[in-house]
Amino acid sequence: MTIHELPTRSPVAGLRRRGLSMVEVLAQSVSALAPSAAVVVVPSIVMARSGAATLPVLVAGTALVVLVGWCLTHFARRMAAVGGVYSYTAKGLGPGGALLAGWALVVGYAGIAVSALVGAVAYLASFLRLDAAGWGLGLLAVAVGALAALTTVRGIQLSARVALTLEVASVAVVVAVLVVLLLAHDGGTGTGAVVVDGPVTPGGVATGVVLAVAAFMGFESAATLGVEARRPLVAVPRAVLWTPVAAGVLFVVAGFAQVVLLRAAPVEILTSDVPVARLADAEGLGALSRLLDAGIAASFFACVTGSVNALARVLFSMSREGVLPAPLGRTHRRFATPAVALAVVLPVVVAVPAVALAAGVRVREVLTASLTFSALGYVLAYALAAAAMPLFLRRIGELTRPALVGGAAAATLSAAVLVVALAGTSWSGSGAVVVVFALAWLPGPVLWLVLRRRAPATLARVGVYDQATAGDLLPGQGVRR
Amino acid sequence: MSGVDRGVTGRQPQAVRSALAVLEEVARAGAGVNAKEVAEALGLPPATTYRLLNLLVGEEYLVRLPDLHGFALGAKVAGLAGGFTPARVPTAARQVLGELRGRVRAGVHLVLVVGASLRCADVDPDLPLASTALVEGHLHASALGHLVLAEADDWRAVVHHPDRLPALTPATPTRAAEVDACLARVRAVGWAGQVGQLHEGVGCLAVPVRGASGLLVAAVAVSSARGVVPTEYLDAARDCAGALAPLLD
Repeated sequence: MTIHELPTRSPVAGLRRRGLSMVEVLAQSVSALAPSAAVVVVPSIVMARSGAATLPVLVAGTALVVLVGWCLTHFARRMAAVGGVYSYTAKGLGPGGALLAGWALVVGYAGIAVSALVGAVAYLASFLRLDAAGWGLGLLAVAVGALAALTTVRGIQLSARVALTLEVASVAVVVAVLVVLLLAHDGGTGTGAVVVDGPVTPGGVATGVVLAVAAFMGFESAATLGVEARRPLVAVPRAVLWTPVAAGVLFVVAGFAQVVLLRAAPVEILTSDVPVARLADAEGLGALSRLLDAGIAASFFACVTGSVNALARVLFSMSREGVLPAPLGRTHRRFATPAVALAVVLPVVVAVPAVALAAGVRVREVLTASLTFSALGYVLAYALAAAAMPLFLRRIGELTRPALVGGAAAATLSAAVLVVALAGTSWSGSGAVVVVFALAWLPGPVLWLVLRRRAPATLARVGVYDQATAGDLLPGQGVRR
Repeated sequence: MSGVDRGVTGRQPQAVRSALAVLEEVARAGAGVNAKEVAEALGLPPATTYRLLNLLVGEEYLVRLPDLHGFALGAKVAGLAGGFTPARVPTAARQVLGELRGRVRAGVHLVLVVGASLRCADVDPDLPLASTALVEGHLHASALGHLVLAEADDWRAVVHHPDRLPALTPATPTRAAEVDACLARVRAVGWAGQVGQLHEGVGCLAVPVRGASGLLVAAVAVSSARGVVPTEYLDAARDCAGALAPLLD
């Protein structure tokens, strides 16, 4: 490669370049992670599986995610990608690994968008005291979906700002509720103690870790803003590392608070759909629990926009490589967003839950199924990306021992979590989700096999990123021979 | 930006020294040098070198080449030297400009373009620009500046304070929509023209000089104090730009 062969235009031109500040990049990761929803929903589910080992399990899950995040920063400091983890994996495992990871990521983002939409609908209905079922919830899903479409097509800047504001407000509400409940706590024990201090089994601990990891899904999505961030090689790695660290602290602290609170509570509250809200109700904090509903609904809505933004950008990237049809790579003329990709993604993400809810499927069932579905995709993508990291560094001659050890550990542990998740999901009688996941993920390997035979040149382009163009270089500098 | 970057503080002189040494080594070795070679040449630990290289790439003083292991100096380095080195224009290019000056009754000027900045390299000695500093500093208010901004993917990322563009005259485009309209016109016709945006009553047109790869390397401007864009010289300016291209690329 000589510097005279540099293109004058980036392969991912068309998005609004270098416009997002550090805070807005961070907002993407935070909104896709939806910390307030995660810290309220996940700990009590973990408790039911892991019993007395709940806190160590939450810490272990957080540590694994932070390790994966640290692996991703090695890519993020070196290339400004639009495909996020998909583009990163391409640089270490080649096009095959990239398509396997990339499609897993597509499945993951789509699944989380569906579950966040359902979550937003459920909490919104609860906030509005709507006693809707079936059609009513379906229509509410369409309305929330339309609002998400508006903010995502209008521009990442707007949707990031809206998302971060909503998220900060809802985290504040969650913290306030937990603090008030802890202050009112009298130190007694209730029937919940049976579960909270329950027996520890290896299987329970493993599924607990899977669930804890699932709480962080989406933290890496800032990696899809490589082109749009102002200083991508600085802002993206920071967002990808510090989002899980900060959310992890919140997660463990909120988990601890819930362990203390639920130990003292009746076991029915622990196993209810919304334990924290029920706790608030039980303490006579009706207004707070209403506020909590609004906060969680907002957090879920932010998560819808965050995941859809990231999903559309992965598809945009694939289209610019020629892996997917060219129209998906078109950007909106005025807003410079991947509008066609968004237009393809949004109807699916809205229709699936809207139809399911309208058909009378219970909110909790849709939520659990889509969450599991998406967890399988994410963890597969994380495992492949972590494995790709040391290979990538070795290829460019910048491998260090900590990177090798960290990458190998993150890949092995993520793969273990994936195996446990697959086994656990199949055992617990939701084998259908695994089948649906396998079918949804199939296009990835199929695309790879077809392209390898039909269009190897296209496959070679996989992993496009915002590479240096002639204009980025100091002109007239010497060239090394 | 969220406050101050505390990655390297003023209390780490050795880190700053090492970073400058890395920058110097890339300049000395030439574009395409890789991280291992830089570490070996400087005797720095590899992990430290990689961190410093990534830091300098993050700040855009270095650029990682598309093979991802080679480094080159970034266009931002020009900003360090831009104010001091004289812009060199080959004699053959000066002759081409001289010919055009003999044929038109207006000022003919040459600017060199580096990245998103321009340097007035050869100003008409008989009908000089009123202020080269204004031309170089306010890209939104001149035909030459519009050419440069039209080249960028997003002009907001190039100018200082895109939301507070100074109005040099009542005609200066200061709102984003006005600048967008100007640049759309430039992209559509391939040249730029304006009247009274920089100095009242002064009109100017600018045509691009492009290298073999299509990169904007320079621009020729024709300015006139008659209060209109001197379009009658458009073809002559284009011919001149065409003749300059092989001399300046």
